[in-house]
Amino acid sequence: MHRREFIKSAAIAAAGFAIPHSIDTLFSTAGAFEKVDLAVAHGASPSKITRAAIDAMGGMKKFISRGDIVVIKPNMAWDRTPEQAANTNPEVVAEVVKMCYEVGAKKVKVFDRTVNDPRRCYVQSGIADAAKAAGAEVSYVDERKFRDMDIKGEAIKSWPLYTDIFEADKVINIPVAKHHGLAKLTMSMKNWMGVMGGSRRQIHQRLDESLVDLSMFIKPTLTILDAVRILIANGPQGGNLADVKKLDTVIVGIDQVAIDSFGATLFGMKGSELGYVKIADKRGIGTMDISKLKIRKISV
Amino acid sequence: MKNLRKISQGIFLLIFLFLFIQTESKGRDDLGYPVKIFLDFDPLILTTTVLSAHHAAKTFYLSIIAAGITLIFGRVFCGWICPLGTLNNIVSSFKKWRTSAVNREWYRVKYYILIFLLASSIFSLQLVGIADPISLLIRSLSVSIYPMFNYSVRAVFDSIYSSDIRGIVNVSEPIYSALKKTLLSFQQPFYIQSAFIGILFFLILGLNLVEKRFWCKYLCPLGALLGLFSRFSILKRSVSEECASCGACANVCQGGANPDKKEEWRDTECLYCWNCDDACPQNAVSFGFSREKVAASMDLGRRRVITSMAAGVVAVPLLRVNPLSKSEFIHARLIRPPGSLEEKEFLKRCVKCGECMKVCITNGLQPTVIEAGFEGIWSPILIPKIGYCEYRCTLCGQVCPTGAIKKLTLEEKVKVKIGLAMIDKGRCLPYAHSRPCIVCEEVCPTPKKAIWFEKAVVKDRRGKEVFVQQPRVDLDLCIGCGICEAKCPVVDSPAIYVTSIGESRSKDNRLLMDRY
Repeated sequence: MHRREFIKSAAIAAAGFAIPHSIDTLFSTAGAFEKVDLAVAHGASPSKITRAAIDAMGGMKKFISRGDIVVIKPNMAWDRTPEQAANTNPEVVAEVVKMCYEVGAKKVKVFDRTVNDPRRCYVQSGIADAAKAAGAEVSYVDERKFRDMDIKGEAIKSWPLYTDIFEADKVINIPVAKHHGLAKLTMSMKNWMGVMGGSRRQIHQRLDESLVDLSMFIKPTLTILDAVRILIANGPQGGNLADVKKLDTVIVGIDQVAIDSFGATLFGMKGSELGYVKIADKRGIGTMDISKLKIRKISV
Repeated sequence: MKNLRKISQGIFLLIFLFLFIQTESKGRDDLGYPVKIFLDFDPLILTTTVLSAHHAAKTFYLSIIAAGITLIFGRVFCGWICPLGTLNNIVSSFKKWRTSAVNREWYRVKYYILIFLLASSIFSLQLVGIADPISLLIRSLSVSIYPMFNYSVRAVFDSIYSSDIRGIVNVSEPIYSALKKTLLSFQQPFYIQSAFIGILFFLILGLNLVEKRFWCKYLCPLGALLGLFSRFSILKRSVSEECASCGACANVCQGGANPDKKEEWRDTECLYCWNCDDACPQNAVSFGFSREKVAASMDLGRRRVITSMAAGVVAVPLLRVNPLSKSEFIHARLIRPPGSLEEKEFLKRCVKCGECMKVCITNGLQPTVIEAGFEGIWSPILIPKIGYCEYRCTLCGQVCPTGAIKKLTLEEKVKVKIGLAMIDKGRCLPYAHSRPCIVCEEVCPTPKKAIWFEKAVVKDRRGKEVFVQQPRVDLDLCIGCGICEAKCPVVDSPAIYVTSIGESRSKDNRLLMDRY
């Protein structure tokens, strides 16, 4: 990471949220809440920054209604521990679960189709325990629940996807930001591989297009990018703590493309350097140009 | 007494089955149960391992307790504890036995089998697990019976589920998920040779319809060993004057102990089931502690003893004069679990009990057919195409009863090489077909990836330039876990595959010069 660039971009963005916190609350209570595209929270506690970022987007109430069945899709594909930053931070996931219940969600489901053994991934990532403690229904993927769906994309015409995603009232995507050998970086759009059934390894032949196809088909209510720790090399599973960088940051938004484009800056890259972000922008899923976005930054 | 015995048998069988089902990962690094404890109590395995490998795992000293109990109470292990004995007992009861029960004099056969096994183990051949009842039972259940059970239950619930009659599914699914949490395995296991090993097991059970407890009476080498101990036991059977020689006891005897012939009672064959006591109309039978010699002497026949001993000795060279015994002729696909001892030492200890196969997270550990020679039949082999070795898992070493697979810490385990991956450029997509694919690199678990890319611009058929990343294997970093082979999109015959060369346990099966 080019530190200077990071500081610079952080400074520019910081100017955008230099409104005092009290006024901020005043606005929201007055109902004159300004529309924000991305909320970026920074701080030592993963759960606090998660809550702060969601609040900055207008609060969970804006996204989840009473009685909703919510699917939360973290990345817990690997048999790695939280420090190794290969999976989503468990505290972030647990906080989102809690917030969903706070606004009256009926049920919150958490699952992922893992790459390593599911039992180990669920336990070692810390996500199963944390999410369960927060009241979520954590289950292993049931192979019978994949159904062929007409994706009608450029690379993927149809693919078996997990039905729970489509039966849920709301879907919240919680990826972790990290390095990847082919996609360069993986964040929110790539996280949808975890709801693919069948022999998903084949999509690497046209990965960028496939990810965009999926992201057009699955429309999350909210995307929360975990950058508490990011993996800057040897992704997507890492294993060496020297490849992990602690950023203590969580980014929340609705636009998957914007999130991933912003996420790239955490690695000193531009969104346009990522094939899937570029294609997604061109196909109108979201906005790659982060200079056009209203970004609110918060420190907790 | 009969009911008490049945309760004891039932409890031990349930404990055994419970521990068997618990021999499965829950996602943590250890299982939390002493799953192999029945093997630990097995003095036959202790004896042969000490003879063949001059080594005994610490936990095996528990088997001295089993031997001690036999020295005091006789073969109560067979009659009251042994889970295979209990199963034999159950199957025997399926048939109504008429008064003129079969009376074969084959009971000596098991002693010959025992002598054969002991003789061969003195000369470092470890065949005990083929016939040891605990090993046999665990292996048969792991590799065949339990997978069958899972398959059938899943098939039933899956067909109900897909029939999509709503009312039924609402009932069946909760039952199914309860079963999944308790009795069923996490995923359907599949094993090479499952049918063969299963048929052998059914055969053993079926023999109980030929004669009550056929296996226990005539074949079981552990029974034979305990029988020898039983000669010294101080719990003895005595028959009072009231005995009318009605023969009622002979009909109910489970062990072929000649209970009706007062002075000819065979203490080595008695399973201490107390059936004769219960059945005696005169109440003439009693068991009590006594130092008096009341039993028939055992005559195995010198010639036959020598023959079985000789057979055990001859078996050693017979099984070893094949090229697989030459260190440089190691089978390329003979990938042993991480922590396995050097092959010769491994074979001296492995009893083929199948614990490692049962516990293997990915189902990759399979029983060998002939990859390790006849000597190593049913010993564990990793077949990455079926399942890879999970990078941070150390369970197989934790459940191995004899130390054939060492118990490794996580730090040690991730350094052990069980083989090396090689790329088949003729099948690999970026090499042979100008298509991007990075799956092997993506899944490679070493912190610095053992698979790296050479960036290349290749041309497709139309002459269009395509950018691909061609995978290469770093032979120093690769540990041979096989996840690349397991997840390669070229599924039928993967374009990257692992062979045993480079395995850390071997001094001969080396590839890199700088390792010397």
